[in-house]
Formats: sequence, structure tokens, C-alpha cells
Amino acid sequence: MLEPEDMKSVGFGACSVSEECQTEATEQKNPFNFRTEVFHMHKDHHIFEDGDIQRHMYLQDLYTYSAEDATTLSVSELACHISGCSGTFSTLEDYEHHYNTLHRHVCCSCRRSLPSARLLDIHIQEWHDPLFTILAQRQDMYQCLVEGCGLKFSTSKHRKEHLIRIHKYPPDFRFDRGKKEKGAQELKRQQPKDDMAMDVVQDVCDSEGTCDLMCNVSCSDQLEPGESMETQVLKDKGDGLPSSASTEDPSTDAQHRTALKPQYSYRVPSTVCFGHGSVRGFRGRRGRRK
Amino acid sequence: MSKALRDPSTQLTFIKQENSIHLLVGLLTGSDARCRLLALQCLHELSHSPHTSVSLTCLPASSYLLTYLSGQSTRFTELCLYTLGNLCPDGDAVTEKLLAQGIIPALANCMESQRHNLAVVEAAAFTLSQLLQTRTAAQNIIPTVLASRLPSLLLSVLTPEPEFGPAPAIECAWCLHYLTSSTKDNRELLTGGALQQCSSLLGTLGGAVTAGKRDEGLELLLCPLLRCVGNLLCCCPVEELSSQVGGASFMVTLCAIIHTYLHTRPSLAREAAWVLNNATAHCSQICSALLSLNLVPALINLLLFSEGINVMILRTLANVAHKNKESSVQLVEHGLLAALCTTLKMADQEMVTLSLEVLFLLVDGSSKIAKEFVRQGGLALLEVIQFNSEREMRERASYLLHQHFVSYDQ
Repeated sequence: MLEPEDMKSVGFGACSVSEECQTEATEQKNPFNFRTEVFHMHKDHHIFEDGDIQRHMYLQDLYTYSAEDATTLSVSELACHISGCSGTFSTLEDYEHHYNTLHRHVCCSCRRSLPSARLLDIHIQEWHDPLFTILAQRQDMYQCLVEGCGLKFSTSKHRKEHLIRIHKYPPDFRFDRGKKEKGAQELKRQQPKDDMAMDVVQDVCDSEGTCDLMCNVSCSDQLEPGESMETQVLKDKGDGLPSSASTEDPSTDAQHRTALKPQYSYRVPSTVCFGHGSVRGFRGRRGRRK
Repeated sequence: MSKALRDPSTQLTFIKQENSIHLLVGLLTGSDARCRLLALQCLHELSHSPHTSVSLTCLPASSYLLTYLSGQSTRFTELCLYTLGNLCPDGDAVTEKLLAQGIIPALANCMESQRHNLAVVEAAAFTLSQLLQTRTAAQNIIPTVLASRLPSLLLSVLTPEPEFGPAPAIECAWCLHYLTSSTKDNRELLTGGALQQCSSLLGTLGGAVTAGKRDEGLELLLCPLLRCVGNLLCCCPVEELSSQVGGASFMVTLCAIIHTYLHTRPSLAREAAWVLNNATAHCSQICSALLSLNLVPALINLLLFSEGINVMILRTLANVAHKNKESSVQLVEHGLLAALCTTLKMADQEMVTLSLEVLFLLVDGSSKIAKEFVRQGGLALLEVIQFNSEREMRERASYLLHQHFVSYDQ
């Protein structure tokens, strides 16, 4: 679980830091504990498995040595480390695209991802700045979203009409939703396969439980009871994330990952039998003498 | 008949015949030399059976087989040895009997008297390797073996110029691997020069490795040698380490093995990376050698690869960074920071956490390196990791941002 202190130290990309997000100079204990270590490997250790198989096959005269026998060693998988985001990628390009698309310009308070710095600024101003609401009562504060237009409006509705009429925006433009509108608002139209990210970011916000401390608006406001679209998306992906604002236990995720600790025998021939009664007891029979 | 006995079903039929084994043993010990050999061939085929019930029928012959080990006929001795070796995995009862019948002294005598006969040496070492893999080897067999002449005999075979192929050396090396990997305390072997001999041979084989010779025998020899060295390094006193492993050629060979076999035999590359970690863990001279021999840049390139190799290599580089500030500077000059910017994005948690540790080693006390990391765009990565579900990763990223990068603008 993230401590409130951790939440306060947020600084995503071009995130504008609101009052609540000011970094406190917390005194942190040094968590680093690297020590140089030698490792003694027992003969049954899994690191030796592949080599043992090769030895076994040699003894069995099954060893067919092939110079062209090249296994393609893969580049290590990249993963998005944003908590709750399960995106994985095989190239740097994919990773960068994912991150830049979904995790930049993120609002510290409500964790929504906006497509640009400008929209992020506008979002923070309109959603999380108490001063804005006050000022908006007396002057036109709602900026037109189109850069260069410069016009301001007294309500978000007026702005929306302006966008549709003058700038030919669609009536359901995703980045102009009001606070209490429902839906997975910030999802981009063209989703890469990792479009879970946005819903998940929302979920994380809920699950961390500390959001209430941070947000001017309680997170539950943003999830209407009829949020079928969001939960639907979650269910479709079906990777076990909670569909409600219950605490997601980060430790189970970690446990799951440790359970998938990489096994080293990447090429165990199905014909190899590991004998009786021992961890890897090769019945290492000598083959026929030539 | 021995040819017929290659077929397992024939074997089963045979042993069911009354007195069949008795007959064979009789022939084995008879006065006709040719009959003896043929009987032995039959027994050998039986010993080779996948059915334990079949192979165990050879057991009554074991005392004779052992006796014949000190005989003079090469072919005969070889077959005795292989037959005995094939019996070893068949259970504790077999092991007990063979031990009681003096298999270890018999093997030692055989290897010594026949040490110029490489086929016999190969066979004896094979049999020993089988014995060393049995369930109770660590308690019942290894102490006796270590007390005998066998370790020095095995080591004497590990010479760099095998005229008759690597096969005897391969078997001896595997014996040594089972000896060094079954227990953690290998001081006896160390005193006997095992580390020196194995790493010396590895160093010599480096030439063949870099020449890119695709050679079956080479890989089969490299594997146990690496393992011996890896495990022996664990109990070698730090001050003797550098002199025992022989410095430059050993390091060059290790790195050559990693690069040469990365794609074709990744397990070998992985084991070599493990040895590299053990060599650099406590020994400054070896760390310095890694830098001065210009082996580091190529290692940094390997950090991208998976299957366990990159973790060990990153540990190795961490060992080097850990030594002193000068090493850190050199590592950065060779491009370690850029590599970390990629490894910090990896799915493998161990890799990411280790990358953070390495980053800390590099920037701690060096604002120059910290600035370089910022310049390369590394801050954004740390910020992302602050929100990872893994506490270990979060804590480290957070600490770095607050203590070492706090003065830098995003």
C-alpha cells in the first residue's frame, strides 16, 4: 500500500502539481542493500538442468550435434511499471508508445490521463482548483479546447456548443466530459491492446484508498452506479482486476508474479525421462560401444 | 546372443530362463577368454536395460567385474567398467554392495595403473561419475573418494592437449563437478589444485571458443569445467583468488563463452555468467581486469537478453561498481547508464530492482553521474517506478528521487 507520503511525491511527465501534491522532504531510510555475493549451486539446481540434459543425451548416444541448431534468444520483455497497468512489450518502440499515450499528462489528483499538457492544465484547473469555481461565477473561465482559439465561456455547456458548432467537434468528445458524467471518459479512440491501462489507473486510484486524502472530488463521484461501460471493459479483459472500488491487494499480484518465476529448462525434449526417485536422476546408461 | 540381448523384450525373456545369469557368470569366469568377453558383452547389454529388474540381474557378477578391473585386457576392462557404471543408478542396495566390495579403491587402482590407456581412464571416470550421482553419495561416497588418490588422478587428466579427443577429460570434469556441487566445503579439492587446474584449462580452451569452432566435445567439456570453477570460487580465500584463476586468459575465455554461446547454447552462457559473478564478487583485481581488458562494453550489451543471463551479468557489473568510484566512472563511460534506462523498463522484477541498486551505486557520491542520468532521460523512469505495486521497487525509486535527484528539474 502506498503511504500518503509516497502519493505526495508524484511527478508524472508534465504533470502540473497541485497544492496537495507538493513534495515533502520526507526523511527516508536508505532501502538499498546490495551486497556482492558468491553463489554455490548444488548439482540439482535448476540452472544446471539444460546442461545435464545435454550430458544425458551424450551418454545415451542420442546427442545429435547440430551446428545450425540455434535457439533464438529473446530480448527481455519490457513492462509498464505503473501500478495496475499490465502492459507488456517486446520492443522499446511499443513501450514508449504505450507510455506516451497513456501515462503522460496524468492528473495527480484523480489519475486521469490527458492527451496533452494543455488539456491536463485545463482539466486540473476546472476539476481540482477550488478557485476556479469561484471565479467562474463571475467571469468566463471555460477555455475553448482548441489551441489558438482563445475564447472563454461561462459554462462548460456553452463551451461544448462552441466546440461542436464552430470547431466541428463530435458531441461526445471524450476530453470534454463534465465531472459527474459517466463512462470511461479518457479512453482514446484507437486503443492499443493495453487499453486496460486507463480503467486500471482509475481502479488503482480507488484501490490505493488514499485518493480521498488527495482528491478534492471523491473518487466515487466519478464512478456512477451505472458505470456499466467501465466494468464491462474490465470483465472483458478478464484478468482478475476487481471491478468495484474495493481494495486491490498489490501483494497478491506480487505473489502471482513470484509464482511465475522463470524456469531455466527452456528446451526439455519430451523424450527425456528423468528416472526414478531422484530429483533429476538420469539413468545414465552408457550407450552401445561403437 | 549379445546382439539379441539389445532388445529389451529379449532381455526379459532371457532373465526368466532358469539359471540364465548363473550361466553367464560361469562363462564370465571360465577358462575360455573369448567366452568371457562374449559373456561380458551380454551382461553389458543387460546392464543397459531400461528395466531395473533386468539390469539388477547383473549384480551377482559385480565382485567379478571389480576383480577384473586390475586385469590387462583393455576391451574387457572397459566393458566391466561400463557395466558397473550402468548398475549404479539402480538403487541403494546396489551402491551398498559395490561399496562393500571395494569399488572406490578398485577404481583408483584402475585409473592409476591404466592412466596411459585413455579409453580405460574414460570408462573409469564414467563409472565414478555414476557413483557420485547416487542418492547417498554425499554421505557415503564422496568422503571416501576425497580421501583417495582419485581427485589428483582426475585432475591429471585435465591437460590442455588431448591427443585422443576430449572424452576422458569430459568424464573426469563431470566427476569433479559432482564432487564440488554436492557439498559446499571444497577446501580439500582447492588445496589439491582443482581451481587452478580447471581455470587453467578453461583459459586454454578460450582460443578454441573464440575461433568459433562448433565442436561437440568442446561444449561438453566447458560445461563441467565452468561448474567446478563456479563452485570452487565460493570457498577460495579472496587473497588467493586472482593467482589461482590465472588472470587474463581466464576472464577473456569466460566472456568469450558468454558471447559465443549466447544464441546456440544459452545454458552454457548462463553458467559462464554465473562464474563471472562469483569471480568478481569479492576480488578487486578481477574487477579491475574486467575493465582493463576492455570486456565491459560487450557485457553491457548483453543486459537486454533474458533467460537469466542479464541478471547475472548485471550482478557482475554491480560487483565492479561496488569496488570504487573510479570503477563507476568507467562503467558509465562504457554506457551503463543508457543500458539501465532500458533495464529499468523490464518486466522482470529482479532485473528492475537490481538496476535500481546499480543506479544507486553509480550516483551515490557522484553528482556528475547523477546529472548524466538525468540528461539521458532517466528521471521519468524513476517516477514511473514510484507507483509500481512492488514495495522494494517503489522505495528505491522514491529514495533516489528524493536524495539524489531532488535538485533537478523535470
